[in-house]
Amino acid sequence: MDSENSACGNPNPNPTLGPSKLMLAFRFLRALSLVHRTTPASSRTCRGRRIERAAYASMAYSAGTGRGWSRAVLRRLHHRARRRAVAPRRLSTTAGNRAEALRQLVPGGAGMDYCTLLEETADYIKCLSMQVELMQGIVDSSSSYGP
Amino acid sequence: MQPSSREMQGMAGSMNGGISHSAAVAQIALRELQNGHGGRQIPNSGPQASFDDGASGHDDFLDQMLSSLPSSWAELGNLKTPWDPPEAGQRIFGAGLAGETSPEEPSAAAAEGMRYPPYDESSLLANRLRRHQISGGSSPNGKAMMVHLDHQSQQQMLLPSLGRSPVASGDSGLLSLPLTLGTGGYDVDAPFKSLNPTGGEGLFNGLGGPLQRGQSAFGHPQHQGGASMPSQNFTAAAATGGVGQAASASASASASAGGGTGPPRQKVRARRGQATDPHSIAERLRRERIADRMKALQELVPNANKTDKASMLDEIIDYVKFLQLQVKVLSMSRLGGAAAVAPLVADMSSEGQSGAGSGGANSSGDTLTVTEHQVAKLMEEDMGSAMQYLQGKGLCLMPISLASAISTATACPPRPLSSSLSSAGACHLGHGILPGGPHPPNPSGDAPASPGVSALTAQSAIANGAAEAAKEAVTVSKA
Repeated sequence: MDSENSACGNPNPNPTLGPSKLMLAFRFLRALSLVHRTTPASSRTCRGRRIERAAYASMAYSAGTGRGWSRAVLRRLHHRARRRAVAPRRLSTTAGNRAEALRQLVPGGAGMDYCTLLEETADYIKCLSMQVELMQGIVDSSSSYGP
Repeated sequence: MQPSSREMQGMAGSMNGGISHSAAVAQIALRELQNGHGGRQIPNSGPQASFDDGASGHDDFLDQMLSSLPSSWAELGNLKTPWDPPEAGQRIFGAGLAGETSPEEPSAAAAEGMRYPPYDESSLLANRLRRHQISGGSSPNGKAMMVHLDHQSQQQMLLPSLGRSPVASGDSGLLSLPLTLGTGGYDVDAPFKSLNPTGGEGLFNGLGGPLQRGQSAFGHPQHQGGASMPSQNFTAAAATGGVGQAASASASASASAGGGTGPPRQKVRARRGQATDPHSIAERLRRERIADRMKALQELVPNANKTDKASMLDEIIDYVKFLQLQVKVLSMSRLGGAAAVAPLVADMSSEGQSGAGSGGANSSGDTLTVTEHQVAKLMEEDMGSAMQYLQGKGLCLMPISLASAISTATACPPRPLSSSLSSAGACHLGHGILPGGPHPPNPSGDAPASPGVSALTAQSAIANGAAEAAKEAVTVSKA
């Protein structure tokens, strides 16, 4: 699934400035076309999950390996290719559990100290919001021409 | 308030002893602060000076000085009991000290009281302080006191020197009285501030001012204001500025020490907010870093007007959950539109051909259609190769809205190829191919200024219409 992403070539040249929107769009669209090409039209949920994985993969690749969460996402993707993994259970946010809940949400957050966790969360939120914008734009542009 | 004032006046008779009390106390502080500066003459001059001043003025001074003592010193009054103080003073003292005696002090105080002659309360004060040091003190106030006194007077010279001062007995009540008033939170450095004077004359000259205020400040829990006033007077009258500086420095340090961590004795007191402990420095750095990260997060997350750190964290967590949910929903919902994409892409060639054919085919149109087919095929496989193909041809991708805008702006008659544009609608990829570059192929050939516009879309099944893409997800143009 992420083969086309990894085959793209250079990772993010400026990881410190943050992920670039263009690279993200490029990777994601490529992955999307691949998904559409390879999956049968009948399995909708399967395709949905694949699209979601493609989204995360393109996000992680465009963010580069300089980020802890992107490394964790790629690790998870590579491992999931071999075996079925369970979705991480979500903790309810209680008084003492906030840091824990955040660790479970952000990929790779379990092995970080609190300070790094906050930094990774900021970058993760940036990439996530870019991805959501991209997907939203695609959906909007494609849905406005429905017959 | 009334009983205490009555008591004070009742003890005016023993004012001389009271003055020597205060003088002795002042002498102790002076010696500790100066540490040999010239305080030798003070114990000698003090008793004489005490007799010069009016009796009515000094109870206020004593009041102020001793009221600023920390309450942990209150148990000093215990020492007075075997020394036959005035009845009223003893009563008040006992009442006032009801809750102030620390458990470990009274026994030591009693033992100490047995040891020393009754007139040596000043030495008792010093001993009390040392006992505070030994026992570790019961409060940070005590600790600060310990530090200051430990700094200056480790030596026992106080005792023999003070033994000379003729302190009358029966004035213990004076000492005890203000202690009852000192139940509020007294500033630790106040006694040091008030014990600033250097010369014996300076001591009592400065005392003249606050002494009148002593009565008014009698019942007030805030003796710090009164105590600071004497300190100002004392510093003004101080002959040696060194003592004043030392006292003020120590006073300020002890004030800030109350806010900082309590270091062990004989360590330099750090300024406020700058602990010398490496652990606290690292801790402070870590906290600053966390605060910076939180500020950065606040800018990213909408609705970040929460001032509470916990609610801010909750907001962040909710936002991350929301974004992840959006990704999931969008990837699921794209199935509906995207389900048709695959067959559409496969039908690209047929659509393109029919569109071109209906629009009136011509050689250039065929060329472009062929190009479109090629690009469509390439886009299915590899985006990069598709783009390279286009660039090789001198073409670029462009949003359809822009393309249509250009076509309408040029106001050229609709071309046979424009029908393909109109029939295109918006592809889910949002691409448009526009001739642009060093060698733009001019399909029509009749209007060189206006470029032929053709849009290649992956989703060309949409009926014609001046379809402008409402939103373009991707705009790729030839640089």
